[in-house]
Amino acid sequence: MRSFEHVNALNIQTTVALLSEPSTEAIAGGTDLLGELKARLRSPQRLVNLKTLSKLREIRYSPRVGLRLGALVTLAEIERHPVVQERFPILAQAASSAATPQLRHMGTIGGNLCQKPRCWYYRNKLFHCWLKGGDICFAEDGENKYHAILGADRCHAVHPSDLAPALIALDATVCVVGPEVEGEISLEELYTKPTERHRRMTILGPGELITEIRVPPPKKNARGVYLKAMERGSWSFALVSVAAQMSLEGERITDARIALGGVAAIPWRARESERLLVGQEFSEELAERAAEAAVAGAQPLRDNGYKVPLAKSLVKRALEISIRERSDM
Amino acid sequence: MATKAVRPKKRKIAVRGPGKTPIKLIVNGETHELLVEPRRTLLDALRKDLGLTGTKRACDEGTCGACTVLLDGKPIYACMALALECEGRSIETVEGLARNGKLHPIQAAFIEEDALQCGFCTPGQIMSVKALLDENPNPTLEDVKRAVSGNLCRCGAYPKIFKAALRAAELLRSGS
Amino acid sequence: MPKVIKTRTEFEGHVFEEYVVVEGEGLSAWDAQTPLRYIGRQIPRTDGPERVTGKAVYTFDVQLPGMLYGKILRSPHPHARIKSINTQRAERLPGVRAVLSFKNAPKLSFRQGQTFLFDEIVRYVGDEVACVIADEEEIAEDALELIEVEYERLPFVLDPEEALRPEAPNVQPSGNLLNGKPDIYERGDLDRGFSQADLIVERTFRTQCALHNCLETHGSVALWEGDALTVWDSTQHIFGVRAGLAQLLGLPLHKVRVIKRYMGGGFGSKNGLGKYTVIAALGAKATGRPVKIMLDRHEENLAAGNRPSTIQHLKVGARRDGTLTALELKAIVNAGAFCTWPPSVGGPARQLYLCPNVKTEQYTVFTNTGPLSAFRAPGYVEGTFALESLMDELAHELKIDPLELRLKNYAEIDQTTGRPYSTKGLREAYERGAKLFGWKALTSNPSPVAHLRERGGAVGERATKLRGVGMASQIWSGNGMPPAYAIVKINPDGTATVVTGTQDIGTGTKTVLAQIAAEELGFPIEKISVEIGDTQLGLYAPLSAGSMTVASVGPAVRLAAHEARQQLLDVAAQVLEVPRESLAICDGLLSSPALKEAVAIKDVLEKLENFMIIGRGAREPNPEDVAVNTFGAQFAEVTVDTETGEVKVERIVAVHDSGRVINPLTLSSQIEGGIIQGLGYALFEQRVVDRNTGVVVNDNLENYKLPTALDIPEIVFEMVDRPDHRANNLGAKGVGEPPIIPTAAAIANAVANALGIRIYELPLTREKILKALKRV
Ligand SMILES: Cc1cc2nc3c(=O)[nH]c(=O)nc-3n(C[C@H](O)[C@H](O)[C@H](O)COP(=O)(O)OP(=O)(O)OC[C@H]3O[C@@H](n4cnc5c(N)ncnc54)[C@H](O)[C@@H]3O)c2cc1C
Ligand code: SF4
Ligand code: FES
Ligand code: FES
Repeated sequence: MRSFEHVNALNIQTTVALLSEPSTEAIAGGTDLLGELKARLRSPQRLVNLKTLSKLREIRYSPRVGLRLGALVTLAEIERHPVVQERFPILAQAASSAATPQLRHMGTIGGNLCQKPRCWYYRNKLFHCWLKGGDICFAEDGENKYHAILGADRCHAVHPSDLAPALIALDATVCVVGPEVEGEISLEELYTKPTERHRRMTILGPGELITEIRVPPPKKNARGVYLKAMERGSWSFALVSVAAQMSLEGERITDARIALGGVAAIPWRARESERLLVGQEFSEELAERAAEAAVAGAQPLRDNGYKVPLAKSLVKRALEISIRERSDM
Repeated sequence: MATKAVRPKKRKIAVRGPGKTPIKLIVNGETHELLVEPRRTLLDALRKDLGLTGTKRACDEGTCGACTVLLDGKPIYACMALALECEGRSIETVEGLARNGKLHPIQAAFIEEDALQCGFCTPGQIMSVKALLDENPNPTLEDVKRAVSGNLCRCGAYPKIFKAALRAAELLRSGS
Repeated sequence: MPKVIKTRTEFEGHVFEEYVVVEGEGLSAWDAQTPLRYIGRQIPRTDGPERVTGKAVYTFDVQLPGMLYGKILRSPHPHARIKSINTQRAERLPGVRAVLSFKNAPKLSFRQGQTFLFDEIVRYVGDEVACVIADEEEIAEDALELIEVEYERLPFVLDPEEALRPEAPNVQPSGNLLNGKPDIYERGDLDRGFSQADLIVERTFRTQCALHNCLETHGSVALWEGDALTVWDSTQHIFGVRAGLAQLLGLPLHKVRVIKRYMGGGFGSKNGLGKYTVIAALGAKATGRPVKIMLDRHEENLAAGNRPSTIQHLKVGARRDGTLTALELKAIVNAGAFCTWPPSVGGPARQLYLCPNVKTEQYTVFTNTGPLSAFRAPGYVEGTFALESLMDELAHELKIDPLELRLKNYAEIDQTTGRPYSTKGLREAYERGAKLFGWKALTSNPSPVAHLRERGGAVGERATKLRGVGMASQIWSGNGMPPAYAIVKINPDGTATVVTGTQDIGTGTKTVLAQIAAEELGFPIEKISVEIGDTQLGLYAPLSAGSMTVASVGPAVRLAAHEARQQLLDVAAQVLEVPRESLAICDGLLSSPALKEAVAIKDVLEKLENFMIIGRGAREPNPEDVAVNTFGAQFAEVTVDTETGEVKVERIVAVHDSGRVINPLTLSSQIEGGIIQGLGYALFEQRVVDRNTGVVVNDNLENYKLPTALDIPEIVFEMVDRPDHRANNLGAKGVGEPPIIPTAAAIANAVANALGIRIYELPLTREKILKALKRV
């Protein structure tokens, strides 16, 4: 790491002001940021430590408003919280599938949602790639087994978070505060495909902070599952993951939200699959069609073609498991 | 370098660094005063500034687990924490386990079951097991596997680490 | 009087003759009648307490007063000439003490002249360019960014097959083929052999490049005191490092001391002298202060060696009854930029099965990638994967049970020398393994795959998992060899110290040597200390590799203990005034029918002031008339998820024959560890080199996947545990490498059994499974 100054945040207002200054970065758990700094990808002159904002460390729940997670709540706290486990199991599953016990004790939900891509060219100082302001994407005709199959444009990195797809399937919103903004947006809106002008994966600008993540109360008869395919038994980012949340009336699907991780630069909402499912009675054939729809338009690169059948299988399996509520994955 | 005031002015904001700044760390119950740059990780502070080299560094980027210590009782990677952000918090390292020359039951179980080969991952494994058993004195094999799933062992001592953790739980329950 | 003799030795598949000096009388291995107190017992590691308390000082933990840190600047290009290098800005950074590069460092030849310590030509991404020595690691890293290097990029080649083409750029001036020719072995008449075959199966197998990733990275601390150099090094061969340093730095041997107390893994990658060690020594000389250089994880994965990738064209001919008639292997090995010790990929094809007509041909090829090094059973892991996969295909084609096919071609003699094996417990390993595993029941069903499908997992109504079983066998040396020396000192208080210059690399050597000394002396093991890992105090012992430490050093220790015991008896008989033959030593006590009660050794020796008994021992030569090898068989059961491509190894059963078991506890750790490394190699481990730039993109533990706690199958194993009386005076052979050899092959065979389709390339990733199932 290059050297930097360090400031403990006092309150949100001053923090936003501090973060609006040039070459300043927020550090929450630090598990992502320090990785970038150690690789000397960036060298902010000042870090602002959010962990001193004790208000942002709370988990609250009421049946009426749902779940409120302060941005500094750790993944371990989410994974272990009885209400999360009981009412939002896919969130607990996603949290517990991420990283390792140690990283989950350190990493915060805010940091997890805002973490940078793990693309191995991005993380290597030797490559000044497009996302870092350069001209080319080295993954495009390089080594791309972990890269995106859907919706990629100039950058083929995938969004690495496990929590994001789960929270999107749960229809979560985030509260954002910044020098010029303050408000609540859906988590889906937070994410954006990097563009020529805006080479980032979230819409957050300088000084803008997530303060809270809000999850509405679960719908009636809602059920769901988070499935994650990894290269080994744990401690891996998702090759593909699927968060599916469904509501049923009798045999009929009344609501479905499906989001995929590991396939695109943003957590990928499978809207067409959802549309196919809602109003229908569940069948294997329907699951098959919904799975097919989830990867429609996939444009795999040389090494990541396997993600297409993998995503399909996981979507199908997630639907079956959530409908039948049996999980032997 | 001492603290200085910067804008916004309403309340004083303490800026530390980029040079060395004094901090206090509470390690294994003892308070230590040291001078570190903000970029000093907890791991380097333990190893280089305090000479506590039991905690190992095998990757320095959260991918191996050799640097596992307990921060306020929870297992973390010391390489991914800034030393000055750990001020005032309780830090436990492998050096703090044995008391008065007597091995902690986890340590005894690791030896008994041969849950180590080169031993480089061992301090980290032991701290992860400690965190587990502090919280759950009666773990299942599956609990143990999950608890050490953030600690790589290249020598492949895993089967014996699992056994040792279960054995240690037994020893602790029986109060020996 | 020392005797000079010529002996033949085998090390990691290479056979050579050398002169050795031996002394002292020979001892034969303990027979079944000898009651043994320590040999064969589960003795916990004697250095366990240091390791579990964090007190053990690894090279990485050595901190000396005034110590500086070195960081190495590495080439970002796979092949380039350094046109200019400007270190001034780096030198001016406060805290920087020296910057070394080819401009100011001596031009020292490295890797048998294939490169220099700092070469003007860099040949792979990660090749050493310069080194900054500074007060703190962070400052050294800051300074690396200030070094300006102008490179003239040269054409490069990453793929070994491409490198063999005439138009390929030369990695080494002498061409890209090591020694300018393939390494060929031949016996019998290959053409005739194939013409006698009823069936010929021919396939191409590919294995990946694997990275050792020892948890303690490579590194050294160097300290000069006057003209004497002390180096702490994370090495498997302190005497090798000493010799290398002395030669490169022009120092006499007695001025170079190499110490290795504890080390965090080596697996073959720490067999030799590393550039970082020499650079640390030069840096310490230049600054007048101790210097520590530890590679970081990325450097470790760029520049600290690897198990090279291979391409193996393998062809086997057999009669209808399964008898092999011919076996031909053509292997291409990607050596990387430098190579002085090619792995022997053809070893298994030459040795494992009875076959009169065999040819192996190995092309070891230079490319602009990180250089290979030994990696736990180098060559044999790769070669066994191909051979044992092909044997399974042959069995399948011939409709013979895979195990039966192997038994059919069982080799009773070593066909490369014509010598019989000293002992060979492979048949027993097959039989016991098959029984433990339930091989018959799992394979005897007329349609095993369908049968196994029923046992697979299901989602909803659908069965999605296939279950499969497979097996593979192993041959390896592990015989040990001279020279290796030890002394055993008996102290006046009745304790004893074993001194030798070997190293415990995590294998439990220290404990095993204590057991041997305690057994031979008749002392309680608590009264034995073992001093190893220091060239200044120790006696020569070979590198800790090739599964030969116990079988090389152990016999020397036993002889030294034996001699010490003889002296003790001589002295005791005189002090106690009893006939020497009447004396016995047990549990540290001297007894004799002529004595009323047993006498503590201490009581005898203390009468002699500070008299110290010193016994010397030297490893005997290997027998000339037999081949000494280790054997084993492993059985794997896997499930394969046909929808997600996930392979899960459920169970491994292993039975190995490594002669006598000295410590079942530490041995079991070696077996389990070998299997787990083999599992990682089979399923996920793979270095990924960017094909456009030559950069290793997964030079970290995030994307180079090692097995985690959640990948570990049930492991059941047994040892044949029959002393090999011809091997050495212990009857024990090595066990460090054998267990990794058949694992990947057994898993691959199980996966092929589950799928009914074979995958010819490792690792068996989801991608390959889904492709094999035609889902991609
Ligand atoms: C080895 C490894 C494996 C991992 N595996 C997984 C995995 O499997 N699944 C997974 O989901 N994640 C994984 N992670 C990522 C890990 O979960 C994240 O690093 C962690 O959740 C980030 O949280 P943090 O608090 O440490 O973030 P920090 O590192 O502190 O911050 C990350 C980024 O977010 C910004 N930031 C932090 N908080 C806020 C906020 N409130 N508002 C706006 N911006 C903010 C920071 O400025 C920084 O740029 C892994 C990480 C590592 C190192
Ligand atoms: S995928 Fe994105 S982050 Fe990776 S190299 Fe391409 S542009 Fe850079
Ligand atoms: S050193 Fe901290 S996780 Fe590897
Ligand atoms: S014992 Fe060597 S890495 Fe675990």
